[in-house]
Amino acid sequence: MKSLDFQNEFEKIINRDYFSKEILPLRKKAFDKFSEVGLPNKKLEDWRFTNLNHFLKSSYVLSELEHGDPSNIDLSQFAIPNTNTLVFVNGHFKKELSDTIDGVKLLSSQEYLELKNGSFQYPSECPFELLNTSFMDSGISIILEENQVIEKPIRFLFIASAKEKLMVSPKIHIDCNPNSSLTFIEHKVGYSDDFFINTSINCFLDEGSSLNHINIQSDSQKAVNINKVYVKQSRDSQYTFFHLTLESQLSRLDIKNDLNGEGAECSLNGLSLSSKNEQLGSHILTNHYSPNCLSSQNFKNILHEKSSGIFNGKTVVHQDAQKTDSKQSNKNLILSNNALMNSNPQLEIYADDVKCSHGSTTGALDEDAIFYLRSRGLSLINAQKLLMEGFAVELFDVIKDDSIKTFIINKFEKWLTENN
Amino acid sequence: MLSIKDLHAEVDKKSILKGVNLEIKPGEMHAIMGRNGSGKSTLSNVITGRENYSATKGSLELNNESILDWTPEKRSLEGIFMSFQYPVVIPGVNNTYFLKAALNAKRKYYGEKELDSAGFLKVIKENLKELDMDTKFLQRPVNQGFSGGEKKRNEILQMLTLEPKLAILDETDSGLDIDALKIIAEGVNNYRSPDRSFLVITHYQRLLKYIKPDFIHVLIDGKIVKSGGKELALELEEKGYNWLDS
Repeated sequence: MKSLDFQNEFEKIINRDYFSKEILPLRKKAFDKFSEVGLPNKKLEDWRFTNLNHFLKSSYVLSELEHGDPSNIDLSQFAIPNTNTLVFVNGHFKKELSDTIDGVKLLSSQEYLELKNGSFQYPSECPFELLNTSFMDSGISIILEENQVIEKPIRFLFIASAKEKLMVSPKIHIDCNPNSSLTFIEHKVGYSDDFFINTSINCFLDEGSSLNHINIQSDSQKAVNINKVYVKQSRDSQYTFFHLTLESQLSRLDIKNDLNGEGAECSLNGLSLSSKNEQLGSHILTNHYSPNCLSSQNFKNILHEKSSGIFNGKTVVHQDAQKTDSKQSNKNLILSNNALMNSNPQLEIYADDVKCSHGSTTGALDEDAIFYLRSRGLSLINAQKLLMEGFAVELFDVIKDDSIKTFIINKFEKWLTENN
Repeated sequence: MLSIKDLHAEVDKKSILKGVNLEIKPGEMHAIMGRNGSGKSTLSNVITGRENYSATKGSLELNNESILDWTPEKRSLEGIFMSFQYPVVIPGVNNTYFLKAALNAKRKYYGEKELDSAGFLKVIKENLKELDMDTKFLQRPVNQGFSGGEKKRNEILQMLTLEPKLAILDETDSGLDIDALKIIAEGVNNYRSPDRSFLVITHYQRLLKYIKPDFIHVLIDGKIVKSGGKELALELEEKGYNWLDS
């Protein structure tokens, strides 16, 4: 899909009568801007390692109302116990398949926009963010009231299932008012052949609030999954992010996290499992603007066959951010001679009293460890599997909810079994 | 039990073992002594089937069956165990999980029912007690942050748990203080029985004060140049190895 090909789809969306007219100016503005800047290319530093060839060759079309027919989908296979789930089929919210969530304010994009006096308050210069705003469909926003603690995790389940190559553009806002707390799961599954899901999630954490954000992505092997997360944190807020991704032709996660209040903490974690010719990338930017904040980036990739991975992590400690404590780590396991990992850990420090560490390692499974385990009677395959479990296990500890943790570990185990 | 005849082996195309002959019968304890670089560890690695250690000539049999083509795991399941000179750290894998997986691999191989956590804990607690080890060892990742002595104890713990027929102790005394050495020696001695054999590899006589081999062999430049009873160890302690050089 080249830049110009989006024009046709854009004509279609602005003529849809079931989308609100109030959002139209915003779409037009974003699309004009997109037409001006076009799709990113490898000459841009931030896109240097991302290979868009597959995306450029495919043509995606808007998801129509009839694509929201869920009749041939068995939802039980995606069940995570003890969560409240909202279901989206090819970009269409399916109330009849969703749980009723009492006591939580859920808004449509239009309602959210009214609340914000007509503009989304975050940077939107990235071409894919502009596309998301131009084409936003399944947009639901969550507003937590002051002191509101939501015990049961809320899950948005995005299902892609169609014969056509569809493009879907969810836009989500999560506003956590002071001292509120929530576990939010963004769960993407797909069994279409090829599709393009371009998500924008924007989280605003007010003073003392906490948000656990889980992102599970297991799409078809031809899917293109672009995922932009923006987080802005106020004083003493806590944001924890865990990302599990497997099986996408191209998956790109972009997180920008602004620590904008003293004592704010963020922990960003990801496990990417790739095989065949998949390309999974994590682009993480943490900005320390205020003193006494804590941040960590911990991302791992396991790469099979001809797959490739990217870790492009950056932590910037701005001048006022004294007493910053930040860690950054990227570890990768390469299981084949044809796999490729690009790791680019970066640290920029403009304050003088800080504690920062960063590191990156990429390598094969330890042969000595494999022999050690085999000499105790474990088969070669089980020895490799055990080492990979040991490699990943610390990441799962950040998931506090047992049902979610079990679900994720089972996904990981299944992947290990299928790719060994 | 173990029969080695005219065994030649190389590591990375370099010839290390140059015709080793050794016969270990059930219940016997043999010690191999020799300087650094004489081929002691190569011998243990060839017996346990480590990659890159290839036999080029001769035979290696367990109970009259050649094991040269066996994978390391098959050798283990058939009863060969090695206590590593340098036990490997396995980050992220806790000791219980590892030991249970190893024990259950063995039970499965012999058609026995795999143990659940409670059943496993019962077995392991006995063994921990024997080696004066705290149960907290079980929760830690395999060998991570273990002192030298703890690592060696963990090796012997694995031996007691997996119940091998032939245990190779590769420089088990190195890195041990005297108290730890005594505890380990006691664990080994208690494990001795008429159907279990040992091959002890060491270059000091120290360990042999606490565990008493039936036979001692001296390995020099890839060959056993002298064999004898326990008295040979004392002679080596006194005279060194030079008098045996040809």
